[in-house]
Amino acid sequence: MRVARKALLYLLLCLVGLSTVFPFLWMVSTSFKTMNEVFSIRPNFIPRNLFTDKMWDNYQTILVKHNFLRYVQNSLFVATTAAFGQLVACSLSGFAFARMKFAGKEILFGMLLATLMIPVEVTIIPEYLIMLKLGWYNTFLPLIVPSMLVGSFGTFLFRSFFENIPTTLEDAAFIDGVNSWQMFYKIFLPNAKPAIASLFIIAFMNNWNDLLRPVIYLDSEHLWTATMGLMQFKGNYGTQWHLLLTGSVISVIPLIAVYIAMQRYFVEGMLGSGMKG
Amino acid sequence: MRYGRVAPWLFVLPTIVGLALFRIGPIVAAFLVSFTRWNVISSPQWQGLANYRELMSSEIFWRVLKNTVVFSVTYVPGVMVCGLFLAILVNTKLKGITFFRGLYYLPVITSTVAIGVVWSWILSPRFGALPRILNNLGVMNVPSFLGDSRYALLTLVVVYIWKMSGYHMILFLAGLQNIPEVYYEAAKIDGATPWQLLRHVTLPLLSTTTFFIMIIALIQSLQTFDLTFAMTEGGPNNASATLSFFTYVNAFVHFRMGYAASMAFVLFLIVGSITLANFWARKYWVSTLD
Amino acid sequence: MKRVSLMILVVLLVATLAAVAGAQETITLRYFMWDPIFADMERALIDEFEAQNPHIKVEMTAMDPSSYWPRISAMATAGELPDVFNMSTGYFEQWAQDGLLLNIQELVNRDLNIEDYFVEVFSENRYPDKQTGDMYAIPYAWVTPVLFYNKDMFDEAGLSYPSDDWTWDDFLEAAKKLTIQSDPRLPAERYGFFWYGRYAHVEPWVYANSGRILNEEKTRIQFDERAREALQFLSDLTNVHKVSPPYKEIVGISQDDLFPLRQVAMWVDGSWNIENIRQKADPDFRFGIARVPKGPSAIPGDDTTYFWPDAIAISATTQHKEAAWELVKFLIGENRPIESYMAGKVPIHKGLAHSEEWLQAGKDPDNMQLILEQGEGTGRTTFTLGWSEWRGYAATGSSGMNGELDKVSNGEQSVDEAIKAITEYGNSVLTRYYPEE
Repeated sequence: MRVARKALLYLLLCLVGLSTVFPFLWMVSTSFKTMNEVFSIRPNFIPRNLFTDKMWDNYQTILVKHNFLRYVQNSLFVATTAAFGQLVACSLSGFAFARMKFAGKEILFGMLLATLMIPVEVTIIPEYLIMLKLGWYNTFLPLIVPSMLVGSFGTFLFRSFFENIPTTLEDAAFIDGVNSWQMFYKIFLPNAKPAIASLFIIAFMNNWNDLLRPVIYLDSEHLWTATMGLMQFKGNYGTQWHLLLTGSVISVIPLIAVYIAMQRYFVEGMLGSGMKG
Repeated sequence: MRYGRVAPWLFVLPTIVGLALFRIGPIVAAFLVSFTRWNVISSPQWQGLANYRELMSSEIFWRVLKNTVVFSVTYVPGVMVCGLFLAILVNTKLKGITFFRGLYYLPVITSTVAIGVVWSWILSPRFGALPRILNNLGVMNVPSFLGDSRYALLTLVVVYIWKMSGYHMILFLAGLQNIPEVYYEAAKIDGATPWQLLRHVTLPLLSTTTFFIMIIALIQSLQTFDLTFAMTEGGPNNASATLSFFTYVNAFVHFRMGYAASMAFVLFLIVGSITLANFWARKYWVSTLD
Repeated sequence: MKRVSLMILVVLLVATLAAVAGAQETITLRYFMWDPIFADMERALIDEFEAQNPHIKVEMTAMDPSSYWPRISAMATAGELPDVFNMSTGYFEQWAQDGLLLNIQELVNRDLNIEDYFVEVFSENRYPDKQTGDMYAIPYAWVTPVLFYNKDMFDEAGLSYPSDDWTWDDFLEAAKKLTIQSDPRLPAERYGFFWYGRYAHVEPWVYANSGRILNEEKTRIQFDERAREALQFLSDLTNVHKVSPPYKEIVGISQDDLFPLRQVAMWVDGSWNIENIRQKADPDFRFGIARVPKGPSAIPGDDTTYFWPDAIAISATTQHKEAAWELVKFLIGENRPIESYMAGKVPIHKGLAHSEEWLQAGKDPDNMQLILEQGEGTGRTTFTLGWSEWRGYAATGSSGMNGELDKVSNGEQSVDEAIKAITEYGNSVLTRYYPEE
């Protein structure tokens, strides 16, 4: 009985997995194709050059000729610092919003959420003028600092998470005489591992995928990010699909790595589960 | 006032500094821009409410607004149900579950271009796998999922849900792991079925997360347009254009920044009031562990 | 003798001073271009330019079009425009009107031998009037629409290839014979032709029938009867004769894949697609190009088609006008390697265009001269301020005139209904840009 249920569960897991994986597989498979092979009426999933000595041609072109690793390094730096910054700023403010009382709290929170609702397309030019005034043009600062400080999403995430931690925990700690900082750092934060992990995954991804800001702010090619690097394969009259998708595969690897690295916090933080196999 | 008067402000200080320096200014500027005619390359010209008047009288704007409402109303519940389903599915200690968690996250990070190409290929009436399967099952005259103005928007919604479920899975997963096991054990001793566990333990205890995800999904549904770009470009004849797409096009294709800004603020008014209403309604269905 | 040596001394001194001054004053130009795929060739070209002009250094940035426009617009608003940058015909009017482009008419008059260039194409970069205005940008390349046809399919059907005197009836007959549909409930296996609301698909037919979409001043939408006739012909191809797929059947496929993948036998689009076809099609794919057939109402001598030039402009605020002009001259001149043009994109310099490297006699299509001949005629376009809004193009390809014509192709509305909708919406756009009729 237990075995049958387990098998059924695995079957379900695999079926769902099948439906989520195929565009990714196509992307990987296309990265081994030639320009000409990408376009055919019935797309072949197995590239002709697979396991031949030409197999890695696209990767070689991208890494050597287009210097793609440089862009990936830049993106890694930007996304990592911005995501770490968000963890700090958002966990602090999320804690304050969830557990503390202060004047204008809900108004401030409302303003934070409001910034999420105005599309960046209409604020980017004024923002650009500010960055020029600050002398931050052609540096990573416009990509990192604002995103580091104002994480509306992350603040909201931590707020929801901290709100759900029982007051009894807080009460007990107060009786033990902890101060505000200790309460946050020693009592709440250690319990927030799943929230930390999910915010890091998402913040890293959002910063990684940002295109408009790098396009507006970065001038020198050695500062370009991976998303900008990918756009190098789009021309006025056509797209180099095989290279574009090879670049996409490379620039997805860090996202997967971050996701896998953060996984253990989900397992560790697992206190219970609704379904047991 | 257990935390005193000063501590809260210290905790929110970085956020306030960032908000004041980098967010408030550009938003106020954008608001002012919404009263101007501005093609970005020359100076803006004040023209009062003209942009808002144009919005109100523009047939396309109303069509796009309607599309946006349809999009949000279908996307938000869809992605929440799918995200929660995935989260519950992978919230076990089964061997190899990490692998499946990774698999379900793939659509979130797969390049939008690749997703657009593959889904277009699947749905294409000419080359597509889905129409061919339906043909073989005897269904002829398969509609054009992306090319027919009746289906294009809903087809896009399905693909967006497919892409973003993994994202919400992570958020739900974090929430699920915040529920202490004792609650489940207590319920099991009372002889609760898995469905009852879900209904009476998981969902109520997950409500702060659910509320958070609902607001985020709503905001997301009004902001994303990358797949629209890759798959329909808002077509056919604006049938799948949503406000976010329309704002982008006006800002950076037509270079009508003033008009785009006015659109953004109308949208803001709508989302803002819905969000506010949700926060008000929150106390009726969201419960914390206290 | 003494005086001579003194003079020599003075000359030498002046020359040395000038050389020193010249060596010290290295000018740095910033150049933005919009096609990263050709960035390498452009960079090589610029190296050559720098070698010839040691006192000028060029910093080039290449960005894809969807990044390029937000970026240089932001730079314009901050007063930081690069000295030299690419300019598209779609945005040219606006940029010229806002005073961001340098008037280069005098420089053109001074330095260029007009005979060397496809001068007719220059007209797209004149402002305010296309015929009499001054030049505010200069093309380095141009394209024109042609009728592509698949030779094998023609041979198979026993048809002779399209000729200059083809009528629309001849075209229709051929399209019928080239269409293969075995099950009427399913999409045809092959269509004789295909079109949808795209500018490069529609306008060539309108012009081939001497039709007009805009009024004489190009300030209002005004379809004339000949334009209507052309649209009706296109609509009938799809809705009556079924020789062209409805838009909804080809959506989701890149439109320029259909011809090289042998899904259609004929296609009208810009000549730059020659490169695209060669890249995507099988090696044994044989194809030719022909003129877009003249319509039944064509006025002799008024069957011209449009040009789509890619241009280079100089910023009105550049500090180095002469150096920038030197660069521009170099970029549009005969030093440009043919490889920096896609096959089918024509160099503005006639010497280059008529070279064997460009004509590529050994490859299909074997009559590239046809494109050059079209370049000698008068060009006509529908470009106005607000063009991307009312016409619908690229990211906005589903709206405006493009979107309305897609509905015609889908059989959802008649040509007259489409014309009415396009005129109404288009004029609401144009009224904003040209308040006075």
